[in-house]
Formats: sequence, structure tokens, C-alpha cells
Amino acid sequence: MQDKKNMARQVEVAEEHGISRRQFLARGAAFTLAAAVTGPGLTVLSGCGGSDSSASGPLEFWQFDAGGGGNSPQAKWYLDVADAWNKDHETQIKMKYIPVQDYISGTKLKTGFASGEGPDIFVASSNDFTLYYNNGALQDLTPFIEDGARDDFYQNVLATRMVDDKIYAVPLEVEPLAMYYSVKAFEDAGLSEADIPETWDQLLEVAGKLKKGDRFGVLFETNANFYQNFTWYPFMWQGGGDTVAKSGKESAFDSKGGVQALQFWQDAIEMGVAPRKALGSGAGDLSANLVQGHCAIEECGIWGVGDMRQNAPDFEYGVFKLPRPPGGTYTTNFGGWAWAVSSKGKNPEEAAKFCVWALGSMSEDSIERGVRWLESDGVMGARKSVVEQATQRGHFDPEPMKFFRDEAFPGSRAENRYPPEISKMVNDAIQNCQLGGADPKQTAEQTAQNIDSFLEGYSGAPLI
Amino acid sequence: MSSGPPHVEAQRKPRRQEAKPVHRGLKRKHQEWLAACLFIAPDALGLFVFLVIPMVLALGLGFFDVSGFGGFAFVGLANYKTMFSDPLFLKSLRVTVIYVGVLVPSIFVVSLVLALLVKQKLPFMGVFRSMFFLPHVVSLVVIGFVWQFMLIDGRGVVNQVLGAVGIGGRSWLGTPNLALGTVLMVSIWFLMGYYMLIFLAGLQEIPQEYYDAAKVDGAGSWTRFWYITWPLLKPTSFFVLLVSTVIAVAGLQGFDLIYVMTKGGPANSTSLGIYYIYNQAFQYNNYGYAAAMASFLILVLLVATAVMFVLTRGGRFEDV
Repeated sequence: MQDKKNMARQVEVAEEHGISRRQFLARGAAFTLAAAVTGPGLTVLSGCGGSDSSASGPLEFWQFDAGGGGNSPQAKWYLDVADAWNKDHETQIKMKYIPVQDYISGTKLKTGFASGEGPDIFVASSNDFTLYYNNGALQDLTPFIEDGARDDFYQNVLATRMVDDKIYAVPLEVEPLAMYYSVKAFEDAGLSEADIPETWDQLLEVAGKLKKGDRFGVLFETNANFYQNFTWYPFMWQGGGDTVAKSGKESAFDSKGGVQALQFWQDAIEMGVAPRKALGSGAGDLSANLVQGHCAIEECGIWGVGDMRQNAPDFEYGVFKLPRPPGGTYTTNFGGWAWAVSSKGKNPEEAAKFCVWALGSMSEDSIERGVRWLESDGVMGARKSVVEQATQRGHFDPEPMKFFRDEAFPGSRAENRYPPEISKMVNDAIQNCQLGGADPKQTAEQTAQNIDSFLEGYSGAPLI
Repeated sequence: MSSGPPHVEAQRKPRRQEAKPVHRGLKRKHQEWLAACLFIAPDALGLFVFLVIPMVLALGLGFFDVSGFGGFAFVGLANYKTMFSDPLFLKSLRVTVIYVGVLVPSIFVVSLVLALLVKQKLPFMGVFRSMFFLPHVVSLVVIGFVWQFMLIDGRGVVNQVLGAVGIGGRSWLGTPNLALGTVLMVSIWFLMGYYMLIFLAGLQEIPQEYYDAAKVDGAGSWTRFWYITWPLLKPTSFFVLLVSTVIAVAGLQGFDLIYVMTKGGPANSTSLGIYYIYNQAFQYNNYGYAAAMASFLILVLLVATAVMFVLTRGGRFEDV
């Protein structure tokens, strides 16, 4: 009502000053036009460019675990690492927290770099690598890493962070994908461990048996984002497909492996055994989907173990390897985050020393730090020594951690590092087939052509 | 020429003569002009600094390839050429046209009908007005999450209710053919209360005597609406039409809902132009390309608005 009164008053004032009510309304509309369009459409774009950070002060470490009032084991670990460094070094490290959704798909990191006010150190996935490397934003960490430590990393984990034998990010962890299932749902459907599916056909059949009422049999990611690509890739790889051929010069997306993986996810939807929409933040959110009874089986990474421990400790679940296509070879995507240093930061050399000191040295402290991260986050290690020591301490003794170390991780592949343009093309193909009902073969062929066109003009880090 | 009684005029004249020397050299008209400028100055300055300058800079950005890491390269009209061969941009334009084409008339009709209903002098009308306006005071992000939960496949309350009449079991946000319509429905629900208030303000300015006279002449409800309400409401209608068009094209509330509810999916079916521009800028770091697309969108909006202004003479329909 107050708005209405205000508006009426404004009209009166306008009329007193020789402006008719109609003119007032017309001018008001014109003003709204200018304000409305220029606000979201343009102002956000005008801050791009900027200059490099040069101010002194502590080095800012942007991440999504420590800060924001949270008191999680992960947050404590990050703060402990910074404290340990700050105690003995003149250059201080300051943790800057960004909520995970904003960090991954928001504007904070991008606008930070664009305005020259970005981080000194930040966490990056393989998927982010080419964007930052190709724009010269990553500091070479090689001079600070001793050979022993370099060899201590699993080489396939390190490979996606390297170009020309130089290391541009230190891996923190790996997070292989697997299928989680509700034990109760299995029991209710008269199924047992013996029915755990090993092939795609078996998975669809079991999912059909598990579908009951509002509960779907199986859940694959449905949100249109690059996380969906991450979870879909292993199904393509299992059939021998790939997005970009090994040469890095042409696409292999229209191979049999790609087409049948698109078909598989489409079949799951069209058979009605998988939902078209995940609950919560998506299919990586076990407590919002599996626990709430939205599905009986869900594809999720190792982080789901920590999620369940924290949010649904009494929920009984099991884990099994990603099923294979006929004649396919098992593999999964291990993803994981790494620490990277901005070459445009305040003191890239000191920042690089910090990252290597924390995660990439052969000192006992560095290895211990890695073990404590596994214990805090419930994930897999990126270094042999860390995994060995965590094993000795019994980190992998209980299920499903043992499963992840012994069954899921062996044979797994690193997440590809593709520029966002290619990731978008792949995501469109997945979405069009999974939810749009497009023909997988035609879609794969069209996508392969689009990727080929992009690759013709691409120059930058090799696409692996 | 004076219109007041002689004794009042006699009292006024000396005061005017006394006041004159105090404001020597500055006529009343100029004083008002100066006061108006001073009142407007803070807003105008803010608009200039935070809107006009960024807008001009962003328009310029459209002629560059901007990496987002400090790299600028002049590319002339290349970004503009790219956009017309970019199938996803063209698709986002199609989605925007549908969105605007459905939202603007729907909002117009729904809010006008609501305004006519709540204008009735019946009990609890204040409660109804508040109820219809209530969604507008809640954060759009919250609205998006709540509707997403209500619309979820299978277990959502919308499906439960519709299931009772045999049309449940649909994935409202997960089916390309339904998702845009669903977002539109939520948008209309969210906006209708706001435009209802604007219409209500317009309706209450129409003198009751007109309706009374028409009733005496035997005019029915429809006749009274058609010959009294509709013509006298035209300036308000124009305002609603224009502002809702601007808001729909610029995606002022559509962006938030789509960001929360669909992320532009499934299969880009809800990717409005503004959402695609956002992704180009902040997902793919194509700031120059995004700026070019935003500039194009503004051009389209300006042309559409200009056409509306010309056709209606800025809302003065009777002169057309």
C-alpha cells in the first residue's frame, strides 16, 4: 500500500510541476527501461580487464572449505596449514572462503582475475586448467618441487596439471566416482548383494525393480553443468570413446563409445527408471537424493562417504563400481582438486613455495598433512606415500574406503582438461540426448564436427 | 489576471513586492529549476557513475576480445558477426521471444483482472491484496528453491495435486517442452501482485461519478469496463506493458529463477538471452562476446520500446 501511495504522490508532484500524469508514467517507463537493461546486462561486464595485483600484504588463498563460520574438519585442516606456515614465515597466508556453489559456477573467481583483484593461491580442478594456463595465469611450480616428491605423485594425477614437463598445480586429492545404493531399497525389492549390477543392462534392469512409488531406480546427474560431464565421461571411456582423440587435433566424440554412452543415459530416462531432475544441489548430493528416497542408486564420488557420515550416519548404504557396457573395460573418473598459484598475484614465488611446502615436499610434515586431509575430507590421496601412511593408520580399513582404494581407483582416469567451449559442446550433447530425446548418433556426429571446428583454431595446453 | 477576491489580492500584492528584492536576478521559475537540479543531482551522479559510464565501457568492450586476465585485442565487428552464426545465441533469442511473448500479455491480463477483483468493496479485500502482493516481497532465490521443491519429479506437491486429476507424474523442470512454461508460470505468479497494485492505482483514479452516470443510463458491467475503465486506464496500461516488456527482455527476474531452477536446461530450453550472456561472460570468460550480445539485446529493446512509444504517442492513445 505504501508503494501505491508513494506513486500517487509522485504523480501529484509531477502534475504540480506541469507534467501530466501520462507524461509522468511514460517518462517513468523510459527511466525503468534504461535502469533495467543497463544494470544486469552491461555493468557487470565493464569491470573486465584490470591490472595485476601488486599490493603488499598477506597472500590470499581462495577456497571453499575454510571460513564462512563453518567448523568442519576440512575448514580446521586448512586453517591449521595456514597457521603452521605463518608461524615460521614472513609472508603470511590468509584464507578466503567462497561458498562452493559460487566458487564452482559463480562469478567470484572469474571477476577476481578479471579485475586484477584475484587470489594469490586458489583451488582448481582439471576442468579449469586450460582456462587459467592458456591465459598465462598459472605460476610454474616445478623449480620448487624436488624430484622425489614429483615421483611420489600418481603420474596420471599429475599429468593433467603439467605442460611441457612443468608442473602448474599441486594435486590435493583424488575423488573417484562409484555407484551408491540404499540397502533398504534393495531389501524391499527382494534384491541382495548378488544382484549388484556389473553391466549397463543389468543396472537398468535392477533400477526397474527398485523403482517404487516416488522413488526412482537410479540417478545420474541431470543439471546442465560441467559436473554432469565429469560424471558422464567414464561411461564413454568404458566403451573406448573419448572427446578428443589422442592426437589432440581432432574429436573422437562420434565413436561407438560416445554414442552408446549417450544412448545409455537416454534409455535410463526413457525407461522411467531415472528422474529428469535431481534434488538438492544435484546428483553429487547423496543426502538430498539417496537418503531422501528420491532414488535407490546414485552415481557420486568418494566425497559421498563424508557426506553420509556427517549428514546421515544411520543410513545404511553400499557402493559398487560403475557398470560397464557390453565388451567394455571398467574405468571411472577420479577428478580431484589441486592448488594453483596465480602468476598475477602479489608474490607468486612465495605462494609457490607455500603450496609445495604444504602438499608437494618429501618432508614428514608434508606427507602427514596429506594424510590428515584424507582423514578430514574422507577422500583418496594423490601421492603414494600419503596413501601408504593413511593405509598404515587404518584410514582405508573400513568400508567403503577400502572399496575406493582397492576397487574403484585402480583403472581410473583423470578428469579431462578441456577449454570451456568444448565442455559446453559435450554438455549440450548430453542434455540433448538425456533430457531432450535427441538421436545419440546424430548428436555425437554434430558435436564431433563442432569440436573439430574449435580445435582448428585452438592453441594452448595439450588437451588430455 | 487575477481570479481571487479583491481583499485577498490586496493582501498578496505587498508580499510579492517585498519578496522580490530578496531573490534579485533569480526568477521563481529559475529557483525551482535550481532546486530541482539539486534534488536530482545525487541520483543523477550515481546513475552516471554506476550506470552510464559502465554502459559506455561495456558497449566498447563488445569490439574487443577480452580474456578476463588482462588481455585485450581489438576485433572490430567480429563478436557481432559471431553471434549471428552462434546457434546457441539464436536459440536463446528464440527462448527470449517466447518468454516475452507469453509473459507480457499474461501479466497484463492476470494483473488487470486481479486489480478489478480486489477493487470491489467486499470484506477482506485488504487481505487478498496483501496475499497477491506477498510473493513480491520474498527473495527470488527463495522463490526459486521453493518452487523447485514443489515441482520435483514424482514427489513434488504440484504432481501430487495434479495427480488427483490425472495429469500428474510429469517432470515440470526436467522436460524441455515443459520447463519454459513452468518458469513462466512461476514468473507470472511472482509478478502479478506488483502489476496488480499499479493497475489498482490507475483504477482508483477513475472518478466514481462516471460509473454512476453510466449505471443510470443502463450500462452493464462490460459496457462500463469497455467505455470507461479501458480508455481511462490506457496510460497505466502503457506503463505496465512497457515496464513488463523491459523486465522480461532484460530477464530481471527470469534470470534469478532460471539460475536457481533450471540453470538454462534441460537442453538449453530455458536459456534466456541474458542467461546465455551471463554464461559466456562468467563461465567461458568471453567478456567481449558477452558485451556484444548484451549491446545487441539492448538495441532490440530500444527499438521495441521506441515502436511502442511511437504507436501510442508515449501512452497518449487518444491522439493516435
